[in-house]
Amino acid sequence: MSIDIQNITFQYGKTKALDSVSLNLPQGAIGLLGPNGAGKSTLLRILMGFLVPDKGDGSVLGYDIREQQSMIRRYVGYMPEDDCLIPGMDAVSFTSYLGELSGMPRQEAMKRAHEVLFYVGLEESRYRRLETYSSGMKQRLKLAQAIVHDPRLIFLDEPTSGLDPHGRQEILELIIDISSKKDIQVLISSHILSDIEATCNYVVILNKGLLAAQGKISELKQINFCLFELKVKGEPENFFKKLTDLDCKMDETEDGMLRIYMPPQINPQEIFRIGAEENIQIRHFVRSESSLEDLFANVVGVD
Amino acid sequence: MTIKEKGYSHWDGEFSQKKLPWWPITRYGIKLTLKKKFFKLVYALALVPSVVFLVGIYLSERLEDFRVMMEGNSQLLKVDPALFKTYLTNDFLLFMIIIILVFTGAGLIADDIKYNSLQLYFSRPLSKQDYLLGKASVLVLFLLFLTLVPGLILFIMKLIFSGGLKFFGDFPLLPLSIIGYSIFMTVFFSFYTLLLSSISKSRRYVIILIVGIYFFSDILFAIFFGIFRSPYSSLFSLKVNLQQLGAAFFGVKAPYDVPWIYSLLILAGICCLSGVVLIRRVKGVEIVK
Repeated sequence: MSIDIQNITFQYGKTKALDSVSLNLPQGAIGLLGPNGAGKSTLLRILMGFLVPDKGDGSVLGYDIREQQSMIRRYVGYMPEDDCLIPGMDAVSFTSYLGELSGMPRQEAMKRAHEVLFYVGLEESRYRRLETYSSGMKQRLKLAQAIVHDPRLIFLDEPTSGLDPHGRQEILELIIDISSKKDIQVLISSHILSDIEATCNYVVILNKGLLAAQGKISELKQINFCLFELKVKGEPENFFKKLTDLDCKMDETEDGMLRIYMPPQINPQEIFRIGAEENIQIRHFVRSESSLEDLFANVVGVD
Repeated sequence: MTIKEKGYSHWDGEFSQKKLPWWPITRYGIKLTLKKKFFKLVYALALVPSVVFLVGIYLSERLEDFRVMMEGNSQLLKVDPALFKTYLTNDFLLFMIIIILVFTGAGLIADDIKYNSLQLYFSRPLSKQDYLLGKASVLVLFLLFLTLVPGLILFIMKLIFSGGLKFFGDFPLLPLSIIGYSIFMTVFFSFYTLLLSSISKSRRYVIILIVGIYFFSDILFAIFFGIFRSPYSSLFSLKVNLQQLGAAFFGVKAPYDVPWIYSLLILAGICCLSGVVLIRRVKGVEIVK
């Protein structure tokens, strides 16, 4: 396991940012999800060795998160969310420079910089000054610097932010290539759920500092809820109330479709029984294909 | 088949255990500085005093040959610790050092803050000390080549021109004074520049601060000295504090009748303040926002 942490707790003053979070993550691409303030950044900071947890232990790539932070950062790549560059440099100097700072010998770093710049599609512009780069090029450059030292684990923070659909697709393809065809683990923190769904098969969802869910996306969808779409006629207040009492969550789409997230242990026929009790006509009933968005909404309780 | 088509490939090399993990930062800092327009010209100009002093030392050994030229002025060419103190604390050299700091140091940290590069540094196996040492070393190298290196060369040239070790015998501690004062001055200016570079994102603002504080402190001294006529007013001036301390290092009379320890405390205090600010401003933990 590349990331293995147990009961990690961390507080900023009196505010608990992470509360007894335990993770044991498999190889491959993993999505890290959660609303703002859920503790994602704190978790990444702890995993990269910038913060020492108040309680709990763990290791990243086998290195202790309390004692061996420097070793963790040697074998981990990080692609930040913000635009970041070193003015006055071209992409080759920039990438090889960061490779050197990771501990690569100078000549090797230069050779590898050319390779990764080709890989991310910046071969034509690798001698251009970074200040002249577009958003998409900067994003590719950030990916190049994150992989220049051939890390065994890569943290990607909002890797597609600010990209047009074409650029986004290309970055996602690169991530899929890195994570699926090579033995490199990728942890992606993103608000764009479709990106996570496209690249990851495993997801970790944090909410208010707690681990809300973790597991394979396909399994989580089944374990957490069944999603039904229905149209109803009648006064639905009591109908809603009784479904809520059964731990169902509901939302309504713009076209008046009612979406019910039902716990898997409850028989869907309960919907019809309650409808009959409350004189509700159910005019449309479909078991819906749930998405990661639905899972997220259900687990975190937000739209 | 292109690299891109082949897909991601692993690197089969090995990480080296670098004794100086900050050296790439210094090397790139020097490289970027040398690329700057007019920098080499300004640096060459800053070395002019060393050439002038070298000529002076040469003439001091050839007074007989230049008797006509130097008539009545032989006192000017007396080579002793005071001459070395004068070289290292003369107004022109200090002014040029400030200009060099503007070229070399203004953007050292300010640019990293502006362009979010701190994230890139600290996601590497680099500590805060490595980062600051790498940045400071850029300044240290440029400054030592303006102070320590010419100072020692002048001393060695004096020995060569005189053809013996009598000068060394007369002033055995002089090399230590040159080394000690050059290092002190370099460390002070490095802290001074890094402090100012870390408090703003704007390189221009930092330039104004580097030049402004240096000259404003001198103006403040002039104003207070004009009003109170107290030599202690000199403590307001960075330049005079450096000169006072220079006099102490070389064991010559200080320009103002103020104990050198006060100047040392002020300059050391600025270094400490700088250290505290740098530790607070440069935070690795903020790489993940």
